[in-house]
Parts: sequence; C-alpha cells; structure tokens
Amino acid sequence: MKKSLLVLGCLLAVVGLCMVSAAAATYKVASDTTWPPFEWQAGDGQLVGFDLDVMRLIAIIEDYNIEIVSYSWDSIFIDVGNGSVDIGASGATITAEREAVVDFSAPYWTSNQAVIVMADSGLNIASALSAGMKIGAQIGTTGATWVQEQLIDKGVDVKLVDFTLYPLAVLDLVNGNVDAVVQDEPASRASVAADARLSIVGVIETGEQFGFFVTNGDPNGLLPKINDGLQQLKASTAWADLITAYMGGAALPKIEAAWAAASSYLAAKDVVGFAHALAAGATAP
Amino acid sequence: MPAGKEGHLGDVILRVEDLHKRYGKDEVLKGVSLELRRGETKVIIGPSGTGKSTLLRCINQLSVPDKGRVWLEGVEITHARTNINHIRAQVGFVFQDFNLFSHLTALHNVSLGLIRVRKMAKGAALERAREELARVGLAEKACSYPAELSGGQKQRVSIARALAMDPKLILFDEPTSALDPELIGEVLEVMIQLACGGMTMIVVSHEMGFARAVADKIIFMEGGGILEEGTPTELFTCPRCERTGQFLRKITELYGETDGA
Amino acid sequence: MSAPEILWQNVRPLFDALPVTLAVLGLLLVVGLTLGAVLAFAQTYGRRLLRHFCVGYEQLFRGIPPLLVLVIYWGILQSYGTPRILVAALALGMRSAAYQSQIFRGAIQAVPPGQMMAARSLGMSRIQAIRSVILPQAFRLAIPPWSNEYSSVVKDTAFICVIGGLIDLTRQAFMKLAPLSMLRPIGTQLILPYLIILGLFYLALTYGGNGLLALLERRLRIPGFEMKGKVER
Repeated sequence: MKKSLLVLGCLLAVVGLCMVSAAAATYKVASDTTWPPFEWQAGDGQLVGFDLDVMRLIAIIEDYNIEIVSYSWDSIFIDVGNGSVDIGASGATITAEREAVVDFSAPYWTSNQAVIVMADSGLNIASALSAGMKIGAQIGTTGATWVQEQLIDKGVDVKLVDFTLYPLAVLDLVNGNVDAVVQDEPASRASVAADARLSIVGVIETGEQFGFFVTNGDPNGLLPKINDGLQQLKASTAWADLITAYMGGAALPKIEAAWAAASSYLAAKDVVGFAHALAAGATAP
Repeated sequence: MPAGKEGHLGDVILRVEDLHKRYGKDEVLKGVSLELRRGETKVIIGPSGTGKSTLLRCINQLSVPDKGRVWLEGVEITHARTNINHIRAQVGFVFQDFNLFSHLTALHNVSLGLIRVRKMAKGAALERAREELARVGLAEKACSYPAELSGGQKQRVSIARALAMDPKLILFDEPTSALDPELIGEVLEVMIQLACGGMTMIVVSHEMGFARAVADKIIFMEGGGILEEGTPTELFTCPRCERTGQFLRKITELYGETDGA
Repeated sequence: MSAPEILWQNVRPLFDALPVTLAVLGLLLVVGLTLGAVLAFAQTYGRRLLRHFCVGYEQLFRGIPPLLVLVIYWGILQSYGTPRILVAALALGMRSAAYQSQIFRGAIQAVPPGQMMAARSLGMSRIQAIRSVILPQAFRLAIPPWSNEYSSVVKDTAFICVIGGLIDLTRQAFMKLAPLSMLRPIGTQLILPYLIILGLFYLALTYGGNGLLALLERRLRIPGFEMKGKVER
C-alpha cells in the first residue's frame, strides 16, 4: 500500500513538473542593442526599445516567457539560423537573401532612410546625394545598400564610406570627413535632436519593412503566435502608445525613466497599462 | 716517470679502436686507436683541425663516430644497447669554452649533476659541491654566477663540476686555449694537482710545460691520425718522425718554456 | 549633468564588462603559453613527423584572423554547450599558441649549444637537460618578445563579441555609444572622448601587463645573463 502510494506520488510529481515547465516555456530573444530607438541599453542596464517592448507585450498576450539577450548583429543571424537562439528582434529589414536563412514574421514596421547633413552646409536632398559627395552609412545596413544600389550602381559618382557603428558616421559628418549620412529615420531624428549643427534634409522612401525572425522551418511554432500577438497588439491602444513613446522624438533618458516607472505594469502583465504609462511618461513636459 | 707523480699505473681503463669520423666531405678521424691506463695522463698535441677535439668527443659520444669502437672498463660504449648517460656520468669532460650553466651559481653548477644524475639529496650535493670548489681554490666564489667570474675561475669551476661526479677519467678539450695568458697558470695548477693525485686524464693542449711536467705519454696527431706516441723525453729528444720534431720545436718557440707551476 | 558626469556614468558599466575581457585574456594566455611551449619543444627536439605537424599547426593558425577563428570555434562548440568565455579563450588561445611557439623556439635556440653539451656530458638525459638547463634559460630569454605577443593579444580580445551574448569591454562600450551620442544637447561631442576612454582601458591592460612582465624579468635577472650585444655597465 505504502509503496504504490510512493510510486503514484512520484509519477504525479513528474507529470506536474512537466506541466509546469510546459506552461512556462521560455524563448531566447537576441537583439543588437546598439540602435535606439528600436533597441538599446538604458543607463541602469535595462534593455529597452520599440522592438523589445513589442516582443515583451506579444509574449504576455500569447502567454509565453522570453529572455532578451544582447548579441552583436552578425551573430544574431548565425545563432537564430542554427537554433541556439529562438527569436531575432533587431530592426531587421525583410529581404529575400535573409528569407533564405531565417523565417520572418509579418512586417511590424515600415522604415525609411533619412539623409543627415550639417545644417550650415546649404545642401538639400538632391545636392547631398549628387556626384562628388561622400556619403557615410553603417556597414551592412539597408542605408548603405540603398546608396550602393540606387546611386553608385546607377552611375551616380558618390563615395560610400562604411562605418562599423552609426555614431562614428555622425562623428565624421561633424568633423567634415563626409558630406552626408544615410541612416534609418528614427535613429536619424534622435541624432539630429541631440546636436543643433545637424539637420535632416530629406527622407528616402525605401518602403523597407522590419520583421521578427525565427529559425528556418519555425521549429518552436512561434511565428503563428508572434503574428497573432502582433495583430492583437496593433488593434489595441498599446500600439499607438508605443509609437508615441519611442518614435515621438522624446529624449532617450526620458524614455528610460518612463520605462522604469512603467515596468510594474509589465510584471502585472498589463499590456495596455504598460504602453499607456510609457507614452505618458515619455511625453510629459 | 715524470717527477711528482705518485703510485704506478693500473689496468687499462679506456680503449679506443679504429675511430673514423667524417664531417660532410672531410674525414676528420682516419682510424685512431689508443689505450689509457688507470692513473695515466696522456696529452694530445698537433696542428689545428687534425681531429683532436673530435677524438675526445667521440669517446663520450658527444659526437658519434662513423666507425670504430670504444670501451670503458670493458664496457663497450659504442654498442647500441649501452646506456650512454650512464657512461657519460663516469667520464668527466672539460670544454674549451667552459660551458658553465649561466643561470646557476658556481655552487649549483657543481651540484646539479649530483642532484639530477647521481640522485643525491640536495643538502649532501651542496656539501660535496662546496668541497670540490674548495679543492680548486674557489670556495669563496660559491654564490657567484658564471658571468661574474674570470675565465680562469670559470674553468676551475668547470673542473670542479667534472670532479664532483667522481669520474673514472676526465677529458680536457683545450682547457686553457680560451684564457688570457695570466689566467692559464691557475688552471694548469689545478690540473697538475689532479694528475699528481692519480687522476686518469686525456688532455688536448698546446701547453708544453704542462705536458713535460705530468704527461705519461704525449700523442702527436696530424691529418686525422696518430703520428707518434711516446714519453715527453722521447718525443722532445729523439722523436721517430721528422714532423713531430718540427712541430715540437715550433710549439716550444711560441709558447716558451713554462713548467706550469 | 556636466559632460564629465555623463561620461563617468557611461564609463562605470565598462568596469562591469572588464572581468569578461580579463577572464578571456587570462585564459587565452594560459592556453597559448602551455600549447605554445609544447609546440616549441616538440618542434625543436621531436622527430620529423612531429615537427611537420607543429609547422602545419603554426601555419594554419597564424593565417587566420582572430575574428574568423572566433566565429568558427563558436559555430562548432556551441552545440556542445561549451561556456562562451571558454570558447573565446580556446579560439584565441590556440591562435596565440602558434605565435608563442615561435617565440619559445627562438628562445630555446638562443641558448648556446654548449649548455646542452655540458649537461649531457655530466650524464643527464635529454629531458633532464631540457628541464634543468635549457628551459630556465630559454624562459628568461623569452620574456621580452613574449610581452609583444601579450600586447597583440589584448587587442584581439576586442573581437570576442562575435560570440553571441559575450559582453566584453568593447561590446559594452558600443552598446553605450549610440544612446550617448543622442543625448541632448552635446551628445555627438561625447563620441570621441568616450572612445578615447575605451582606448585608455586597453592601454591600461597593455601597460599594466607589460609592467608586470618587466617586474618578472627583474626578479629573475641573473648577473651577466643577457642577450649578446647588451652594453656592459
């Protein structure tokens, strides 16, 4: 009698454990957190940004856990590709080449490239991209690709200067080593807001779209969840609030402080509450 | 019998038979044979490049002869199965360039062989090393490094190092050729003491005074072979070969008559 | 907040990332030293087949840039769940071994051949001679060129962030750089100073390490034991 009870108890414990772990599936999300306002590291070490919060909210909606880790850009694709990371969320433009290596979710953001010049240079968008100009861009970004494919390959005599990091391109612009910098619009706006000497002379509508991505073949069955969660998120007020908070031109420290204040909503799994608090805090005077 | 040597010669301790050694195209040793008795001192002389040093190195296999055999106390050194390290521990070697271990003090130079090869305890080895250094007159230099010693002192430490191993015989390869003239004397003094004390030695040298004083036999080598072997008196007064006489006269002119004392 | 205060706030996280850089640096030097010494001795005293292997190893690892060897090792070892710091240390360490082997070989060969002869003439076996006579001298001779390799290797550690998730000094600095550059009103002016400070970290590592090596060299100094050509004082 006692023995069979013991065996039964063990069996139940094992089943219980399995259920618990099944309920608490945790997926690893890798992001190159050097790219405000989509993903960056706040002063207190917290990883914040539009992409990351969308991931967090979708996870709440779809009831799974995520662990966000900071990976360098190249290693994200390698590791999602081989399955050691489950989801990539890093402002990745959906391209055919990348589709071959990973599986993308539905697009969640349409981005354009902005052209930054020195405010006193007298350049406009046409002259900034004309022959003889030196244009800086971060290596491997769609901005750099645009300059290569749409200008150089089409015979416009500009020089593309590669930079490992986008802030280094801005530094060279300020120092006069390049005439213009081409970079995603949100980041460009943030840079220009931080230095009165810079200005955006135009926006190139590339129509590129960002997507989250998972391992080819979606082994964890995550894409349906992500797409569904995304749909629900976009249908709620939280979506607009997120955009207000991150793309509204607020100073980064303000967003970081608002995030810290709003994080309790995340713990309480309150999607709408979190986004609302974030937006309110970011836009408060 | 040279004056000053005690005792008489014992049995044959070393036998060299028909050694040949070639370096590239040059045949440096063309069939050299000799015998050495216990307590005997033989000095090898001859023009440079005649294979004198090579002969010594072939004896303890620092150079491996192409042909020929060597026996130490009846044990064939040149046999493939002989433990050469075992043999070398019984044959002392003093180099022209001293070859003291530069990273060790004089004391440790002398004791290293005892510790590593004879497997002596460190304390006992250091004690013995001190004795040997005292024997060559360098007790106060025990803690000096080779770079801090003069040439003569270095060579004396080198002799002490060889002596510490209680060798059956010691091979000296031009021990004073790299020394300043004033320093030669102190080294020869030690060597004469050893010879008179009954140590079995083969010395390759130009020091005729030394040879006259302690050599039982002088061997004259030329062109890779032994031309003549005889007592100092024989070689100096009535050498069999013309060449021997010629060479000895030249050497005595150059180096003068020193009695080595 | 003033510029120095802002900079300091962004420099503090660098100290948190420093242990990662130090850990990889320390481990890779151990790997490189051990393997490099083994390769050096094998190549100097070993048989032909062993020598060829050593030469092959050196040519292979010296020809690959540090970035590439990190990526390749991570690709292979990842599936075995090897800890990241270990992967980085192994990758860079095995590469460094190829260079260190040359250093040690040079040092061994710089020991006068008479030393080995004297040791053997006392009856020491080859191994005893290497251990008691060659090695202590070669070690001292190897210290100056080794400090060059150390300096080179410090810079190599800046690449370890290609191993996903490894936050070293450089990666942490890059993470701080973008938001720093976007701080109003002087963000862009802080880019250069911040990068200079990052450089100072590496300078400190290089300088500090070389200082320790110089100290070691002094402690081990033997009167008169120097490379030929040094001026007698």
